[in-house]
Amino acid sequence: MWEFIDERKAQIAFSAYQHVSLVLQAVLVATVIAVVLAVVVTRFRPLEPVANAVSAMGLTIPSFALLGLLVPLVGIGVASAFVAVTFYATLPILRNAVVGLQGVDARLVESAHGMGMNTLATLTRVRLPLAWPVILAGIRVSTQMSMGIAAIAAYVLGPGLGQLIYTGLAQIGGANALNSALVGTLGVVILALAIDALLLLLGRLTISKGIRA
Amino acid sequence: MSTTTPPSNTRAGGTDAPGNPDVSGVDLELVDVLKRYPGQKKPAVDGLSLHIPAGEIVMFVGPSGCGKTTSLKMINRLIEPTSGTISIGGEDVRGRNVDQLRRHVGYVIQGGSLFPHLTVAQNISVVPRLLKWDSRRTSERVDELLELVSLDPAKYRDRYPRELSGGQQQRVGVARGLAADPPVILMDEPFGAVDPITRQRLQDELLSIQEELRKTIVCVTHDIDEAVKLGDRILILQEGAQIAQYDTPEAILAAPANAFVEDFVGAGSTLKQLSLSRVSDVELVHPTTATVGERVAEVRARAEANGDQAVVVLDERRRPVDWMWLRELAAADTVRPVRDDVLTLDRRATLNDALDMMLTSTHGAAIVTGRRDEYLGVVNFTAVTGHIQATEQQLAEGRAADATAGRDDAWEGGGA
Amino acid sequence: MSRTDTTRPVAVPAGDAPRSADTETAPRRSRWAVSGESRILLLVLPVVVALVFGAWAWWRATADLDSIEARQLAWGLILDLIWQHVKLTLVATFFVLLVAIPLGIALTRPRFKRAAPLAVGIANAGQAAPAIGLIVLLAMLLGFTFGTAVLALTLYAVLPVLRNTITGLQGIDPTLVEAGRGIGMSGAGVLFRVELPLAVPVIMTGVRTALVLLVGTATLATFVNAGGLGTLIVTGITLFRYPVLVSGALLVALLALLVDWAGRVLERVARPKGI
Repeated sequence: MWEFIDERKAQIAFSAYQHVSLVLQAVLVATVIAVVLAVVVTRFRPLEPVANAVSAMGLTIPSFALLGLLVPLVGIGVASAFVAVTFYATLPILRNAVVGLQGVDARLVESAHGMGMNTLATLTRVRLPLAWPVILAGIRVSTQMSMGIAAIAAYVLGPGLGQLIYTGLAQIGGANALNSALVGTLGVVILALAIDALLLLLGRLTISKGIRA
Repeated sequence: MSTTTPPSNTRAGGTDAPGNPDVSGVDLELVDVLKRYPGQKKPAVDGLSLHIPAGEIVMFVGPSGCGKTTSLKMINRLIEPTSGTISIGGEDVRGRNVDQLRRHVGYVIQGGSLFPHLTVAQNISVVPRLLKWDSRRTSERVDELLELVSLDPAKYRDRYPRELSGGQQQRVGVARGLAADPPVILMDEPFGAVDPITRQRLQDELLSIQEELRKTIVCVTHDIDEAVKLGDRILILQEGAQIAQYDTPEAILAAPANAFVEDFVGAGSTLKQLSLSRVSDVELVHPTTATVGERVAEVRARAEANGDQAVVVLDERRRPVDWMWLRELAAADTVRPVRDDVLTLDRRATLNDALDMMLTSTHGAAIVTGRRDEYLGVVNFTAVTGHIQATEQQLAEGRAADATAGRDDAWEGGGA
Repeated sequence: MSRTDTTRPVAVPAGDAPRSADTETAPRRSRWAVSGESRILLLVLPVVVALVFGAWAWWRATADLDSIEARQLAWGLILDLIWQHVKLTLVATFFVLLVAIPLGIALTRPRFKRAAPLAVGIANAGQAAPAIGLIVLLAMLLGFTFGTAVLALTLYAVLPVLRNTITGLQGIDPTLVEAGRGIGMSGAGVLFRVELPLAVPVIMTGVRTALVLLVGTATLATFVNAGGLGTLIVTGITLFRYPVLVSGALLVALLALLVDWAGRVLERVARPKGI
């Protein structure tokens, strides 16, 4: 296997980079979408069960099925992979963001208004910082899940390490089939754990000491 | 309906005009204020009219659901009145951008409601930052306020709320309310979430802060004792924020306007008078004192000459740090405190508070402090009981006088 | 301070299934008293599934299909694929329960208690492995068979049930266990008559999570020649026939939603009265 890796260092590194890049970009977009939706949902309370139900249903749909539905719409390639990963990444973050924003003590929000913060300032200086630990937990769940979904998405020619797995599958019986699939799989595992560690670190840096568990 | 103006206040010196330089508060005026929530038949606040003079503490009390908190929150427009006008210093609150208005009205609520993700300093500087103060002015203000609420800035500035006790959090809450030096401060059950001893200390501190600043403070409480202790005036509300009585604590205790007020204020009015009398009203005794670092032998000699078993130990700024028995002194050559949390009473504390503290003290008395915690003397049982007897006698004479003058006067004295 | 408690993360574990928030069971009144979210999922979901399936069946009956499409979408084939898919899901579920619940019980007994965090940690890390990689690798080692697919699916879905079994059992008030022992029940008696019944709601949530995970992952079984509805998707992509592709995707999605719904119903039915 080391020989296999050695021979294809550049290609593997590029795939790994693409995989991470796809996931991080998708999660970033998902975070923005989820937080905006969560702010809307917490503003209009009756929407909350709807959002949670949609989120639960969305997560039920197998990623391979969603890819199948996306291909006719956005075509084969990076776009389908990106949309699919972003879709799944949004759901856990949305759920956590709703929980997190709702968990903010109403008296603190009133206190902020009472001191003359407008709605936007209250959101950015009080509600979001307080909900951030919960949102970040959602981001971690999303990122882990996205790493696996990105691997599946390689079937519709999405970028990343999943391609190595499918290459192995296609070359079955060939000399390097097992190596290829193994490198692809282990690569995803290692990257997933590394990114999770980075997100933990991000938490240490961005969660106020006053509310850290 | 005309604005209710109570008779002038005896304790705060009701002669203060808005132009008085010592008073940093301004007048507050509510005229026919009505709040009706959609879908509710009865208004929560039904035509409240009220004048609150500059520089006074007015306590809103009443049973829950009487509209006292709603009334308070209409002043800074956290709740918008359905009709009527509210003006601060003669200016209609609706004439101003709501956020601007709130930045100039202090707001303190139960437990301090500090933002847990911000440090003490950041919490206090929320409003100065909204007002775009520069950072130097803000941080100077933070330290000044922490001093004012008796927290050492160096020690507490960078702490997070969860690293503070309930009482400390509440102090920071008060500091935060005062941050931008607003003329009017609104408080909603400010001391509701702390234990009785801490509450009493916080009340004392608020009174001494108020003595310096003379803000206009409106404070909601459900605790009549707190109202009597803190208020220059008390507003007792019935359902729909109907004024049951609006007067000084003395007047309310002496002459409840009606049965509702009488019930609410409660029985045992002589004992209630204990809440009206301050420690500063009784004569203090002056046991032997010692300064930290002084030679024990000298202190001992002085104490024995006075016939004292214990000495009050003061620090270099004459703040009490311990109350030591002579045998505890013997352990060292120079005076060194052995406890680190000596309980003291502010001179503005009520006799009620004093009795509470004496009962738990091994000395059977309590140390009294003045401005900035400076030592004043000691209050003991003899002084308090003497004061009670004197008051009772006075009341009895007053009742006798009333009886001869005709009963009806007492009912009208309440105003409203 | 309770204020800070509210900000504690609800779904922390790394590589956790995204539905972990469900393990926090909401206070319940009766078996059928449900929250807004559950009501939508319990009542609206089957209607949506039925409507979409009806629309698809109608399209299938009236659409103008070419010969390849018609062959791929023949009712007989589709029913076969659905059955394969369901079989994969159910067999794997059976093995998941067979492994995870006894393991969960063992890891909450005093003797193995200390191994529980380690076991959950390993399972968590294993969850980071992409499902597609796991299936393909196992097939390379063990052959492209139904058995391999079941093994891969089982490995993949053990975690939620294991974790919820442990959480459920650990969450039981220890005084109840003591009370059980106190009235003379044996260790096994307490386990079966006190602990497990009380832990059932939490365990069932894990089972539903596993079911959904399995029905989704079974889509990938086609890559190791184990059939299932994923076959239609792969065929659709390979032959570039969108009707086949979309039909496959739609059917898998509907099946997954239906399984989720069945899991929710099962959760309610299995919950002991009085909890």
